[in-house]
Amino acid sequence: MADTTADPAPKGRIWDKLTIGQKRVVWAWVFLAIPIVFFVVIRFYPTFWAFWLSLTNWDLMRPARFIGLANYQRLLNDPAFWQVFRNTFAYLIIGTPISLLLSFVIAYYLDRVRFMHGFIRALYFVPFLTTAAAMAWVWRWFYQPVPIGVLNNILASIGLPAQPFLRSIEQGLPSIMVTAIWAGLGFQIIIFMAGLRAIPQTYYEAARIDGLGEWPILRKITLPLLKPTTVFLVVFSSIGFLRIFDQVYNMTTNDPGGPLNTTKPLVLMIYQTAFQSYAMGYAAAQTVVLFTILLIVSLLQLWVLRERK
Amino acid sequence: MATITLEGLSKVYGKGVKAVREIDLDIADGEFVVLVGPSGCGKSTTLRMIAGLEEISGGTLKIGGRVVNMQDPKQRNIAMVFQNYAIYPHMTVRQNIGFGLYTSKLDKAQKNQRIDAAAETLGLTPYLERRPAALSGGQRQRVAIGRAMVRDPVAFLFDEPLSNLDAQLRAQMRIEIKRLHQRLGTTIVYVTHDQVEAMTLADRIVVMRDGDILQVGSPTELYENPVDIFTARFIGSPAMNLLPATRTAGGVTIDGTSVQVALPAGGGDKLLIGVRPHEFVVDPSRAGQPGAFAVEGVVDAVEPLGPETLVHIKVGATEAIATAPGRVVPAVGQTVTAMAQPGSLHLFDAKTEKALPRP
Repeated sequence: MADTTADPAPKGRIWDKLTIGQKRVVWAWVFLAIPIVFFVVIRFYPTFWAFWLSLTNWDLMRPARFIGLANYQRLLNDPAFWQVFRNTFAYLIIGTPISLLLSFVIAYYLDRVRFMHGFIRALYFVPFLTTAAAMAWVWRWFYQPVPIGVLNNILASIGLPAQPFLRSIEQGLPSIMVTAIWAGLGFQIIIFMAGLRAIPQTYYEAARIDGLGEWPILRKITLPLLKPTTVFLVVFSSIGFLRIFDQVYNMTTNDPGGPLNTTKPLVLMIYQTAFQSYAMGYAAAQTVVLFTILLIVSLLQLWVLRERK
Repeated sequence: MATITLEGLSKVYGKGVKAVREIDLDIADGEFVVLVGPSGCGKSTTLRMIAGLEEISGGTLKIGGRVVNMQDPKQRNIAMVFQNYAIYPHMTVRQNIGFGLYTSKLDKAQKNQRIDAAAETLGLTPYLERRPAALSGGQRQRVAIGRAMVRDPVAFLFDEPLSNLDAQLRAQMRIEIKRLHQRLGTTIVYVTHDQVEAMTLADRIVVMRDGDILQVGSPTELYENPVDIFTARFIGSPAMNLLPATRTAGGVTIDGTSVQVALPAGGGDKLLIGVRPHEFVVDPSRAGQPGAFAVEGVVDAVEPLGPETLVHIKVGATEAIATAPGRVVPAVGQTVTAMAQPGSLHLFDAKTEKALPRP
């Protein structure tokens, strides 16, 4: 017995020499190693490879050949790209504020509702659990002409003219955006409600005793204290809109991104360039552009909404 | 400054849960009243009804003689200090204190003057431009008090303001609040579950339990003449000992031993004899004193405190705490005699739990 305590296994000896802090670090790295290896192989390596590819003319058939910035030049001179660029920013600039405003208003009032609170919250959250494809097809059906489409039936029943919705170059993008906003609303509401719940009730009570009305309380207390939540959702939602794909692809399957490219976002263009035209180099250049846009928009938002000390 | 009058004030929640049952209370102008009781006794609900944060279910509430039942908090011109301070992390100390003046019609210079004056009074001047995160607990509580002060309210309401502070800071803030009251002379209603705070701060203490007021009186009155067992045990630390006793012809029997006590007429045969630990003395040098109330017990544990020693004894099945003077530290397991002057005894009817007249 005395021997085992005096002379432990050699492996144990090294481990025993480590301080508690070092042991913790070792354990942390053991657990971190798996995801890190995974991300390096599956994510980071292809990402960096895409930068290289964007400078080549790779088309799957022949080996990639370095062509400098030719892909980017081609992109800048491509009118379709600029159309897609405008579309993408339309999704971002219209979609993000509307979805955030809507979800905040719903969360703000839902927070005060006690009656069937859980049920109502679940109703808002269900779209988030639904497959994007299924959801898009249901909405696509809503938008059909009379007598199939629900929306046009409603319009007809109150005597308004039928609308083309997805078949129109003006209404196509907004119609898809409505679906996208609706799809993300549940998640944003839940996050906003969690943020609202985290504000102590006494903050509001103290303000009421100090004589503030609803609006000043919202402006002076609720919104400033909700800022971290808002920053998170702005960035999260912006990235979501910049990467929009499923809704567009599924709602315009006959002519993805149509009519006349008016609903096509950048991701869909990349998909078509890569997997329909097999212009991998050109598609890679487009992904680099998307990456840059995402990076700039996110950093800009974080900077604008930063905590001022 | 104003009086606050509660007439049959009650609060009923949802399905008939009575949080406060028709209580009456008159608070004089400039008085410091402490509502004290265990959690769930209705003290906070009462305070919140006075503040206007809680709907009044029945009765009337008057502030300065005016019925304010239906008024919004802001119309009542009261200020409140919360347990978690309710100061805003995104504002500086100056902005937080100034928040109390948000709706006031003063111009900016006057507002700043008031903020500076309040900060001066509370010793917050060096911290005016800091955020609450950079302040200690005591300083944050002072900011909350400052915000209440600048408004010049007719009454201050405190809802367990010291519960989040550590013991040392609590004692210090207690004195500061007391000084502040002496200086400002504003009516204060203060809620706490801590009887020490109640005793040290109050002009008058209101003891509450289960939504009822049990007793109202000055700290001394409550200490000397508790009307029932609850108040007797709640006020004073360590709590009063209660020894079960049976009435006999010449006095009482405690744990089978007869003890001589002068008893008032009336009341049941089962009694509880109350004696405060500080008046229940274990001191061999004073043994055999004639006329004293004396009980034998076995020492269970001792707690030497320096100037005195708390002696936990078992009298039959009942645990009691007695004190031994100075450096007398009885051994555990020893049988000792604890004595009290007959005048210091409190008698309670064991059944009704009400106090009997003092012997």
